[in-house]
Amino acid sequence: MNSGAFYLSVGMAVFLIGLHGLLVLQDNLRRVIAVNLMGAGVFLVLVALATRTDPVDPVLQALAVTGLVVAISATAFALRLVSARIRHQQHKTKPDDGRLSSHKDKPR
Amino acid sequence: MAELVLDITLAVLLLSMAWGALHAPIINNGIGLFVAFGIVLALTWARLGAPDLALAEAAIGAGLTGVLLLHAARAIPVPTATTVMRPLQMMPSILLILLVLGLLTVITSSGPDSVFQQTPPLPDLVEERIADSGVEHPVTAVLMNFRAWDTLLELFVLLLALFGVRQLFPGQRVITRTGTQLSAADKPVKVQPWPPLMAWMGVLAPLLVLTGGYLLWHGSTAPGGAFQAGAILAAAAAVLHLIQNLPALRWSLWPVRALICGGALLFLVVAISTAWLGAGWLHYPQPGNKLLIVTIEVIATLSIAVTLALLVTGDSDDFTR
Amino acid sequence: MNYALVSVALPMITVVLLFLVAAPVYSRLQTLVTGGLVIIITVISLSTSWLALLEAAAQSTTSYLAIGGWEDGLAIRFRLTPVVALMLTFTALIHLLLALYGTFSRHGVPKDYWSLSCFLHGSLAALWLSADLFNLYVTLELLSLSAVALVALAGPGAWKPAADYLLLSLAASLCYLFGVALIYGRYGLLDIAMLTVVVNDDLITRLALLLMTAGLMLKAALWPLHLWLPAAHASAPTAVSALLSALVVKAPLFILWVLWSQVAPPVMAQQIGPVFALIGILALVFGGFSAMRTPYLKVLVAYSTVAQLGYALMALGLLLAWQQPEMNSALWLFVIAHGLAKTSLFLAAGQMQTTLGTKRISGLRGATQTTPIAMFAFAVAGGSLIGLPPSGGFLAKWVLLEPLLSQPQNWPWVLGILLGTLVSAAYIFRLVVMAFDRARINPPDISSDHVGQWLALVPAVLVWGMALAGEQLIQLLGEGI
Repeated sequence: MNSGAFYLSVGMAVFLIGLHGLLVLQDNLRRVIAVNLMGAGVFLVLVALATRTDPVDPVLQALAVTGLVVAISATAFALRLVSARIRHQQHKTKPDDGRLSSHKDKPR
Repeated sequence: MAELVLDITLAVLLLSMAWGALHAPIINNGIGLFVAFGIVLALTWARLGAPDLALAEAAIGAGLTGVLLLHAARAIPVPTATTVMRPLQMMPSILLILLVLGLLTVITSSGPDSVFQQTPPLPDLVEERIADSGVEHPVTAVLMNFRAWDTLLELFVLLLALFGVRQLFPGQRVITRTGTQLSAADKPVKVQPWPPLMAWMGVLAPLLVLTGGYLLWHGSTAPGGAFQAGAILAAAAAVLHLIQNLPALRWSLWPVRALICGGALLFLVVAISTAWLGAGWLHYPQPGNKLLIVTIEVIATLSIAVTLALLVTGDSDDFTR
Repeated sequence: MNYALVSVALPMITVVLLFLVAAPVYSRLQTLVTGGLVIIITVISLSTSWLALLEAAAQSTTSYLAIGGWEDGLAIRFRLTPVVALMLTFTALIHLLLALYGTFSRHGVPKDYWSLSCFLHGSLAALWLSADLFNLYVTLELLSLSAVALVALAGPGAWKPAADYLLLSLAASLCYLFGVALIYGRYGLLDIAMLTVVVNDDLITRLALLLMTAGLMLKAALWPLHLWLPAAHASAPTAVSALLSALVVKAPLFILWVLWSQVAPPVMAQQIGPVFALIGILALVFGGFSAMRTPYLKVLVAYSTVAQLGYALMALGLLLAWQQPEMNSALWLFVIAHGLAKTSLFLAAGQMQTTLGTKRISGLRGATQTTPIAMFAFAVAGGSLIGLPPSGGFLAKWVLLEPLLSQPQNWPWVLGILLGTLVSAAYIFRLVVMAFDRARINPPDISSDHVGQWLALVPAVLVWGMALAGEQLIQLLGEGI
C-alpha cells in the first residue's frame, strides 16, 4: 500500500469521525469542530490523490488551498454565530413580568 | 521504513486527536486537542509534499480557528461536562466507522478502476502551459491564473463572512443624558495584558510582518502566496489585539473598509476590463501577466489580513459606530 | 455570453460599492437611495439576462467561455444554455420584485438587506453559468453563507435556526466536495462537458454521485433532509424568506439536475429516476400534511415549499427514468412558477402578519376585510401552487401529467400527483376559509400598507401570466440542455 492510499484512508476516516460527531453531538461548538474535521478529511483525500503523479498534482493542491480558505470563512461565521447566541441567551435574564403575550409572538 | 513509521505516527496522532477533540468531556480540552490536530495536519501536508497547504493550515487552520474556538468557549458561562460516551458505548460507533471506512477504501483504492491506477491529464497540461502563466510555482499559477475565477469568488466569500459577522453586533444603543453609548451587554470586557506577551510581541510582530512579506514575494517561485502571507499578518494582528496594541481596526473608518474590499474589487475590475477591453474574462494580457498577478496578490494579501483580523478579533466596538 | 457576464458582474460590483460607501440605511431617504440603486442594477441585470436568453434561444448549440483563455480542462468554463439564461432572468426578476418591495413598502427590509441580497444575486448568477464541478462548490458555499447571513438579519431570535442551517449546509457542501474529489480521482477532470464523454458506470462513480446527491438534497431541503427549512424560512425577515424559497433551494436542485442528466451515465440515471420520483411523492404528501397541521402562517408557507419541491423532484426523477428531454420543461416550469408564487405568498404573509399583529393562522380571521389585497394575492398565488388552470403551476403540472396519462402503467404516478394536489388545496383553502370568517374578525394593529400589498400581488399575476408564453417556454426548455 503506497503512502497515497494510506493517507486516502486516513482522510476518509477523519471525514467519518467528523460526520459521526455532527450527527451524534448536541453542543453547537463541538458540531463546528466536527464540521471542521469533515473538511480536514476531504482535504486529506484531495492531497493524498495529488501524490499520484510526480511532481505532485498542483491542481488538487490549489483546490485544497481554496477549500481551506472557504472553510475557515464559514467556520469563523459559524463560531461567531454560536457565541453570539450563547451570549444573548445569558443576557436574556428578564423575569416574566406577567404580560399576556410573550415577545416571541411579535410578527416580523 | 522510516517513512512508514512517520506515516503511522502521523495517522495515529490525527485519528486520536480528532476523536478526542469531539468526545473529550471538558470543552477546553477538546479545543486544545483540535488545535494540536491542526498542527499535526500541517505536518502531514508537509509530509505529502504540499508546503503551500502546510503554511496555510498552520496559520489559518490551527492558529486562527483555535482563537475563534477559545473565544467562543469563553462565552459559555459554566463549562458543563457533556454527556460523555463511556468506552463501551463508543464501541458500536467505532465499529460502524471502521466498517464504512473499509468499504470506502475497497471501493476507491482496489480493483481495476482504483484511483491509483489513473493518470490525470491536468498536471501535464499545467506543466506545458506554466511558462505562459507569468509565475513559476505551479500551485500559484493554478490559483492566480488558470483557476483565477475560483480565487476571485473565494475573496468574496471572505468578504461575505465578515459582513455576516457584522450583522451579529446590532449595537443596542442606550440613550443617556450625555449621548448614546453602547449598552452594558455589548461592551467588551478589558483585561490587563500579560507582560511577557507584550515583551515577546515587541520582537515577534516585526518578524511576522517580515515573514508575511517574504511569503508573498516568494509565492511566485516557491511555496507561498497571498493567502499564506495574509494569514500570518492576521495572526500578528490577533496577538497584537490580545495585548491591546492594535491600532483602531474599525469598520467605520473608510481606509479599513477600502483595505478589506480592495482585493476583491481589484480582481473584479481586472476581470471586467479584460472582458471588455481585452481578450476575454480574466484573460491576462501576455506581456503584463506577471505584474498583474503580483499586484493582485499584494492587494489581496492586505485584504485577507485585515478581513481575517477583524473576523477573528472584532468585537462590538469595532463593528458599530 | 457577454450579456450573461454583465449579469454576473453587476451585482458583484454593487456589493463592493455598497460595502465601501457603508451608508447607514435608517431614514426613508437613505432607503430610497440605496433601494433605488439596487433597483436600477437589477433592471439592467434583468435586461441583459433577457438579451442573453434571446441569444441562447436563437443559437442551436451551447456556447462556452473558457475563463482565462486556457485549454478545456485546465480552465474553468462558463456555459450558456436556454435553461441557464432563463434562470439568470428569473433571479434578476425576483430580486427586482423584492427590491421594489423593500424600497416602497412601509414594512420594508432590514437595513443591511441590500448588500447581502446583491451577494446572493451575484453568487446565483455565478452558479447558473458555471460548468466546473469545483467552481460549483465555491459558488454553492457563497450562496449558503449569503443565505445564512440574510436569515440572521432578523435578529437574535433567528440565530438558532441560522446556526443549524449553517452547520448542516457546511456538512452538505463537504459531502459534495468529497464526491468531487472522488470524481477527479477516477477521471482526472472537473469540467462537466468533458466528464459527460468519459464517465463510466462503476462503483467509484456511484459512490461519488451518491455523496454529491446526499449533500445537494440536504441543501435543497428535499424530503427527508428538509428539517432545517421550516425554522429558517419562518424566522427570517419576509423578503429573505421569499428569496430563500424562490431561489436559494433551487440552486442545489439545478446542480443535481446537471449532475444526473449530464454527468452520470444513462444507465445509472435510469436506476435512480424512480427513486427520485418516489421521494418526490413522499415530499408532496408529508410536506403537505405538515403544512396542514402547523398553527403558524410562515411555517405553513415553508412546509409548502418542501411539498412543492416534491413536484420538481418527481419531474427530475421521471426525466431520468425515461430519458425524455421533454420532461425538462416540466421541471423548469415548476421551478419558475413555484418561485413566483412563493414570493407572492411570503410577501402577502408578511403584510398580513405585520398589519394584523399575529404569527398564527387563527389570527387571520376576517383578513378578506382587513387586508383584502394581501389575501387576494395569497389566494391567487395559492391557486398556482394547487395547479388551477391556466396558471403557470397548471402548465408545469400538465407537461408532467401528459406523458403519464398516455400509458396505463404510469397511472400510480398520476395518483401520487393527484394526492399532492389535494393536499396543497387543503392547506391553501384552510387559510382562505379562515380569512373569510367575517363573524369574528381579528382587528388590525396598524393601518394597512397598500403599496406593500399591491407589490405582493405582482408576482401572483406574473405566474398566471406565464400561461401566455407557455408554448414558447415549453419548446425552449424541452431541448434537454
